[in-house]
Amino acid sequence: MLSGAWRWLSPVGLLLLWQIASGTGILSEDKLASPTKVLAAGIDLATSGQLGDAFVVSLRRVLLGVAVGAVIALALGLTAGLSRWGAVLVDPPVQMLRTLPFLGLIPLFIIWFGIGEEPKIALVALGFAFPLYLNVYAGIRDTDPQLLEATAVLGFTRWERLLHVVLPAALPQALVGLRQGLGVAWLSLIVGEQINADAGLGYLINNARDFLRTDQVVVGLVVYAGLGLATDALVRALERKALRWRNTP
Amino acid sequence: MAQHTVTVRGLVRQFGDRRVLDDLDLVVRQGEFVALLGRSGSGKSTLLRVLAGLDREADGETTVNGTVSVAFQQPRLLPWRRVWRNVSLGLHGVDARSVADKALAEVQLTDHAQAWPLTLSGGEAQRVSLARALVREPDLLLLDEPFGALDALTRLAMHRLVDDLWQRHRPSVLLVTHDIDEALALADRVLVLDEGRIVAEHTPPVGRPRRHADLTELRTRVLADLGVTLDEAA
Repeated sequence: MLSGAWRWLSPVGLLLLWQIASGTGILSEDKLASPTKVLAAGIDLATSGQLGDAFVVSLRRVLLGVAVGAVIALALGLTAGLSRWGAVLVDPPVQMLRTLPFLGLIPLFIIWFGIGEEPKIALVALGFAFPLYLNVYAGIRDTDPQLLEATAVLGFTRWERLLHVVLPAALPQALVGLRQGLGVAWLSLIVGEQINADAGLGYLINNARDFLRTDQVVVGLVVYAGLGLATDALVRALERKALRWRNTP
Repeated sequence: MAQHTVTVRGLVRQFGDRRVLDDLDLVVRQGEFVALLGRSGSGKSTLLRVLAGLDREADGETTVNGTVSVAFQQPRLLPWRRVWRNVSLGLHGVDARSVADKALAEVQLTDHAQAWPLTLSGGEAQRVSLARALVREPDLLLLDEPFGALDALTRLAMHRLVDDLWQRHRPSVLLVTHDIDEALALADRVLVLDEGRIVAEHTPPVGRPRRHADLTELRTRVLADLGVTLDEAA
């Protein structure tokens, strides 16, 4: 068997090819800077504090958007999942709105919220809320009826059934929704930051584009990718902790 | 005369055109162990669900004196709560941990109090389910084929355990099963259910634990009630 280390062979090879192509002039710097230049630009932006500032601004937008989206999605998901009337009243409009391409709402958001922080946060919130809502609702609906029946016979109160049966049963699915939602949240941020941003990673990238600094553009993209991976790892860690009852040998 | 834990008169349960329970009468005396035998589709699980209060669509008179607890064919434990919590959840006004530990000791699972249910074997999970049912000190314990999914050896051990627990706590028990040997080994009274009615009643010899050899003749008669003659069985 080949060891896991060999899996690095082709990525590193591609990186080397990229470097060679840049060094020999086949790949012009206007189109794409070489890996070493990107690295240098990254160190440069980091030491000057520009990257850190942009990072903080973008992270704040995502956190606020996710917080707002989570409140909305949980409120709607719990309402629809836990009451028959809630499902009748809440689910149809949410399902209809879901079919809208929400990134297409940007013009409306600019009219409603202007061009400051609000439309960016609203876009993140909206992108995050749909996957979370759908999964919370589905998770609650899929609660094993046999467990509900058994606990009813055993004298659980309504509140105990909610706390010990319904919510834990919905948690795995809700965490799937969290992960999907965070993926969409980063995407929404990247798109949202294209609108008139005067700070943040999107601003950094746009600025670099104006000066044909492809090295700085790539640095911005790498940071976006890193943030996406980091939040994914965070949710996985949360999953391992919250769902440890099913990972035991 | 002792009070009856269960009194059922003229019970009818209909699903569409099908009468699953057809004018059924049943009495379970206080502290009595009754086994209900029947083929699949004979209505035995429906009867148990009516007694458990899970089916409120049945017509007729059903009276249950006291509290009811159930152990189902599948243990139906909450996989996200530790074993001891599964035993004690839903109990109110008691020291949950010590009550759970005592119940788990009775089913020889003290060491598994902190375990997650998914790590248990089928027999262990079923013992937790029994402990959970008994810890509520029910007046009526309903057992819905609780050993049906277990292997033969584990099932025998479970029979001894149930016999033991019943003698110690003395609830009225209604055991629904299609296993004749199980019914004959455990029950004071064996009822045979067919097409929604009780068609036969047998009383196994009193002594416990019962020896298989003493039950051969009775076994043949019960089999006949179920429509199986030994020629056919052979």
